[in-house]
Amino acid sequence: MFKEDLKHNMAAVIEFKDITRTYRLGDEVLNALDNVSCTVQSGEFVAITGPSGSGKSTLANIIGGLDKPTSGTVVVDGQDLSHVRDRQLSDYRNRHIGFVFQSFNLQGTQTALENVMLPLLFARMKPGERKARAKECLEAVGLGDRLKHKPSQLSGGQRQRVAIARALAVKPSIILADEPTGNLDSERGAEILKLLKDLNKQGITLVVITHDMSIARQADRVIQIKDGKIA
Amino acid sequence: MRFADYVTLALRNIMRSKLRSSLTIFAVVIGATSITIMLAAVFSLKGFMTKQFEANGTFQQIMVSPQTDINWGDYSGNQCQDCVKLTDSLAAKLGQLQHVVGVARQTQVGQFQALTYGTQKLRTQEISAYDANGIITTQVLAGRDISASDKTGVLTISSDYADKLGFKHNYQALIGKQVGLMTQGWYSGVGSDPIQASKNQQAFFSSHPGANGQDYQPAPTTLTGKIVGVTSTTDRSYAIRVPLDWARGMEENQMAVVTQADQDAAQAKCRQQHTPQGCNTQPVASAVQVSDELAKQGYNSYIVKVDQSSNAAAVAKTIRNTYKIGAADAQTEIKQQLAIFNILGLVLGGIGGIALVVAAVGVVNTMIMSILERTREIGVMRAVGARRGTVSALYTFEAGLLGFFGGIIGLLVGYGVVLAANPIINKQLSSNSITGSNIITLPIWLIVGVVSLTTIIGILAGLYPARRAAHLDPVEALHYE
Ligand SMILES: Nc1ncnc2c1ncn2[C@@H]1O[C@H](COP(=O)(O)OP(=O)(O)O)[C@@H](O)[C@H]1O
Ligand SMILES: [Mg+2]
Repeated sequence: MFKEDLKHNMAAVIEFKDITRTYRLGDEVLNALDNVSCTVQSGEFVAITGPSGSGKSTLANIIGGLDKPTSGTVVVDGQDLSHVRDRQLSDYRNRHIGFVFQSFNLQGTQTALENVMLPLLFARMKPGERKARAKECLEAVGLGDRLKHKPSQLSGGQRQRVAIARALAVKPSIILADEPTGNLDSERGAEILKLLKDLNKQGITLVVITHDMSIARQADRVIQIKDGKIA
Repeated sequence: MRFADYVTLALRNIMRSKLRSSLTIFAVVIGATSITIMLAAVFSLKGFMTKQFEANGTFQQIMVSPQTDINWGDYSGNQCQDCVKLTDSLAAKLGQLQHVVGVARQTQVGQFQALTYGTQKLRTQEISAYDANGIITTQVLAGRDISASDKTGVLTISSDYADKLGFKHNYQALIGKQVGLMTQGWYSGVGSDPIQASKNQQAFFSSHPGANGQDYQPAPTTLTGKIVGVTSTTDRSYAIRVPLDWARGMEENQMAVVTQADQDAAQAKCRQQHTPQGCNTQPVASAVQVSDELAKQGYNSYIVKVDQSSNAAAVAKTIRNTYKIGAADAQTEIKQQLAIFNILGLVLGGIGGIALVVAAVGVVNTMIMSILERTREIGVMRAVGARRGTVSALYTFEAGLLGFFGGIIGLLVGYGVVLAANPIINKQLSSNSITGSNIITLPIWLIVGVVSLTTIIGILAGLYPARRAAHLDPVEALHYE
């Protein structure tokens, strides 16, 4: 547990066992994930691919603690996520996970700096340190001169960089990127991927969801999903 | 999150939709303002009146009357036949009771018809008199009050009489002026001439044979006196006060008496006239018999003063039980009357309360709306680590802040109204010669109470929307369009 200082979390091991995630729509039962088991090693760069609707995002959300499996166990760094309360799960997201979304998901009314400071707010970091850390992260993604810009004043690539800076802010052990280049042209997409790969080289476990094979090819390992099952 | 972060985030959220927030706060302001004004007015007035009575020593006073069913402040003019008489000796006895510091005897003389000054004649009915021992106080606007050393021939009049006599704003000029107190025809007190009156009556009936008693109207008497003071109308309007000694004289019954000598004289006259049918010469009264009616009938009332207001009720009870006369303390009576202010406060406060309930509905609505608008943001906050409790606390805080601001602004508006109202009330008070200014105040309990109330209402109104925000599914919230 950190309060004042964020210490770098050790790269994590993610273990899945018999994960099933079921959605009920009236009488119909849909298994978005169907008995999935797999392991991601610490420091690994894993690409998850598969057709649309195959369950990739569902898997990422469960790893990230945004969602819980209907059955099965998820253990991250020895911590079982399938049976914890909201409080612990929220703190887990805050301290271990950095999310990067396809649609950026920045707070539209806040500046780049404020967006990056948001996770640090929930980490109860002191205002001064929070600002310094957010600045550091924005500089790391090459946006040191865009601190006071609102998302609407930034390009798509820049927005995704802010999102990556935000993911970095709490020094997470895992970055989960769900189609991070989906809304970008190939050049910006390549830049973003390079940024993520650099972070992976620094030891952060990287899980990227994509159906872009050129991205998947750069991963250490590719997990193929089809109809909620690992192919 | 740190407390300061809640403040910053909530403020920022409120500022984001200024119009909506303003309207919501406005509704709270209306409720807070009305509660502030109503409660301030009601309780300040109550406090002011209570203080007035306390300052006058009214709460230390007991009114004693022959009628046993007396209430404090009742007019006790009618003497009753079978009642215990309020005599001088009874007054002395009451003066000896424990906790009693003094007794003021009071009487009203009712045989007057006019106050005259030069050619002016003002209708008057009663003249009052009471012991000048400081128990009954009157505010004097010019000159002085009746003092214990005054015997006869001096009086005070209230300012309304002075106004009518043409001395408005110049009461001082009236001091030392001679006025007349014109009695009714049958007046038989001091200053009357019963022998002359009896002669006049005889003369009337001998010159009007067959006339009956109602046809004869004796001439009124006019007593003269010097004005020593002009009193305020606060305590009593159209009041004329004379020293108790003079009043005793006014209440006397002076009768012409036919003495043995008068009868002998009449018979001697008869014999001189040598009328064989018999003598019809009436004896002419030459002596006067004086009856002290005040001593016989007793006073109209006493005002008994006790050492501490807390003893008043008990002493009044003792007087009632021991002497079988009426005794009412001001405190019990006035406090009962002032209790109406509590009810008034509740009713008016209730009206403000209804306004606040409406405002609360507004807060609920606003919060639900803004949470709906911010669904995606809430999803982001959850994704980067906000706990349910944090989200819930944030929105509850925001709603509480709406209530808080409404309360503060409402108080300020209320304070403005009080500032504006006080000069008007001051004018009213001074035109009625009541001392007191800026009587409407905002007590600390009201300030703290109103702001706490609106804040709590805001918080309560925010609970449900905040709970909804906290229980949004983060995955769905992140995809909310
Ligand atoms: N909230 C939901 N309710 C019902 N079905 C859902 C929900 N979320 C996802 N699904 C279904 O689960 C399946 C997997 O979805 P998802 O993991 O988002 O796929 P992918 O990311 O691979 O495109 C899809 O068939 C989708 O329709
Ligand atoms: Mg998806």
